[in-house]
Amino acid sequence: MSGNRVAVVGVGQTKYAAVRGDVSLPGLLREAAYRALADAHLTMDDIDAIVVGKAPDFFEGVMMPEGYLAEALGAVGKPLFRVHTAGSVGGSTAIVAASHIQSGVHERVLTIGWEMQSCSEAMWALSFPLPFQQQLVAGAGGYFAPFIREYMRRSGAPDDIGILVALKDRLNALKNPYAHLHEPDITYDSVKESFMLWEPIRYSETCPSSDGAIALVLAGESAAEASAASSGVPPAWIHGTSMRSEPAMASGRDQVSPQASRDCAADVFSQAGITNPRQEIDVVEMYVPFSWYEPMWLESLGFADEGVGWKMTESGATQMTGDLPVNCSGGVLSTNPIGASGMIRFGEAAMQVRGQAGDHQIDGVRRALGHAYGGAAQFFAMWVVGSDKP
Amino acid sequence: MTTDTGGVGEILEAPLVIEYPFNRTTGPVIGAFLTGLREQRVLGIRGADGRVVCPPTEYDPQTGEPLTEMVEVGTEGVVTSWSTVTTPRDGQPLPGHHTLALVRLDGADTAMLHVVDGHVATGDRVRIRWADERQGLITDIAAFEPIRGGA
Repeated sequence: MSGNRVAVVGVGQTKYAAVRGDVSLPGLLREAAYRALADAHLTMDDIDAIVVGKAPDFFEGVMMPEGYLAEALGAVGKPLFRVHTAGSVGGSTAIVAASHIQSGVHERVLTIGWEMQSCSEAMWALSFPLPFQQQLVAGAGGYFAPFIREYMRRSGAPDDIGILVALKDRLNALKNPYAHLHEPDITYDSVKESFMLWEPIRYSETCPSSDGAIALVLAGESAAEASAASSGVPPAWIHGTSMRSEPAMASGRDQVSPQASRDCAADVFSQAGITNPRQEIDVVEMYVPFSWYEPMWLESLGFADEGVGWKMTESGATQMTGDLPVNCSGGVLSTNPIGASGMIRFGEAAMQVRGQAGDHQIDGVRRALGHAYGGAAQFFAMWVVGSDKP
Repeated sequence: MTTDTGGVGEILEAPLVIEYPFNRTTGPVIGAFLTGLREQRVLGIRGADGRVVCPPTEYDPQTGEPLTEMVEVGTEGVVTSWSTVTTPRDGQPLPGHHTLALVRLDGADTAMLHVVDGHVATGDRVRIRWADERQGLITDIAAFEPIRGGA
């Protein structure tokens, strides 16, 4: 990673829920932003610039909300910047915020990702009928189901790997007080018997639709050390950031393991000096909105060889007790405010490094990967954060 | 549908109508304002500089601090700027000659955009005409009416 050093010094999340009827949209963002500032022992006056991201405006029906939100975010008289990269936007937004400090332009940047999905039915906003095209009424899961089926064919994975992922993530969510879904009675059988929504994806293998926001405070080297000295919580230093994208309809592209995904992972690990991700990364927060994406991304990111990622899931390697815990927070399968989901992955990775993940903390995390994808599995954003200064 | 292209070939056309519902959560401040309208009361909020902002905002426009002190303002006020509509089209607020106006209610320091039934100009006084059935929407104010002959 080039440029000035940057660290995460504050993380703030809202309680996630299907409907946050107690707050307005500005109030929701405010809740996350001020928790992040409190965590960093900073005030809004200390912030030089604000970088925000959310899913397409159509999902909430507020056009260019960053303008409407400026006052609530304390952005009067400060630079306010909006990022757009579909479902990966939370990750991309954090990376853009980091670049404001890497470049030397700013010292302390507040970044926020959010979605208030109760404003609409975002799943179906992706499926309006276009002229001359077959109307599938499929939603996002329907789009991805054939690529999951193709992964199952290529790898020969047993049919129940998705069930294992969903069960693990939903049980992890019980340890995360902010998680949307808390299902203490969930079992292997209850997942298996849940409604088949988009074959082979069952209802319980699908992300919920959530309201919520997350905010991170990023700081340059001296500001990060000052903040950590005040708050008593160590910084999570950014060891690498990478974004890649590819066209949804590019002829011949591999939608199971897109080139952009593999290139993005290779780049971020190279920046962080990592040659064996399975050995050198301690914990992963991975964007898994549909259960089968855990083994698919394990392979695409280089944690497993092609065709055997599912064996890591099956063996328990990705559980909190395994050697590569994935989604200790409960992941996207337990909480999905779309525009926030990528930044939640990035923020949870930082929380693991800072030792502030509470009941879902993994002991002794030195390096963590935050991962996000979006669109038709075409936008990718990743960062590696670590306890050591890079 | 097809279009005759004068022998160049047939170009297909089809309509695309996107209809999509949205919901809004108002939060404590806008929620109180809308609930007030239902009761024929108009609420503003006191800003950090002491000025009364109406309609109220949840956060101070200058400092960004949360605002909490709701202030009831009058149901009459003064026009601060306007645009007249002499020949309304379908869907415009009123069927006859009306005016889109910024109205600063008595006791408020900021103006709200609404509609006046009739012609007014800057400095004219107006009063609220309430809707017969009020639901907690901005349209609970059916329109403003000019107060003729001064008030």
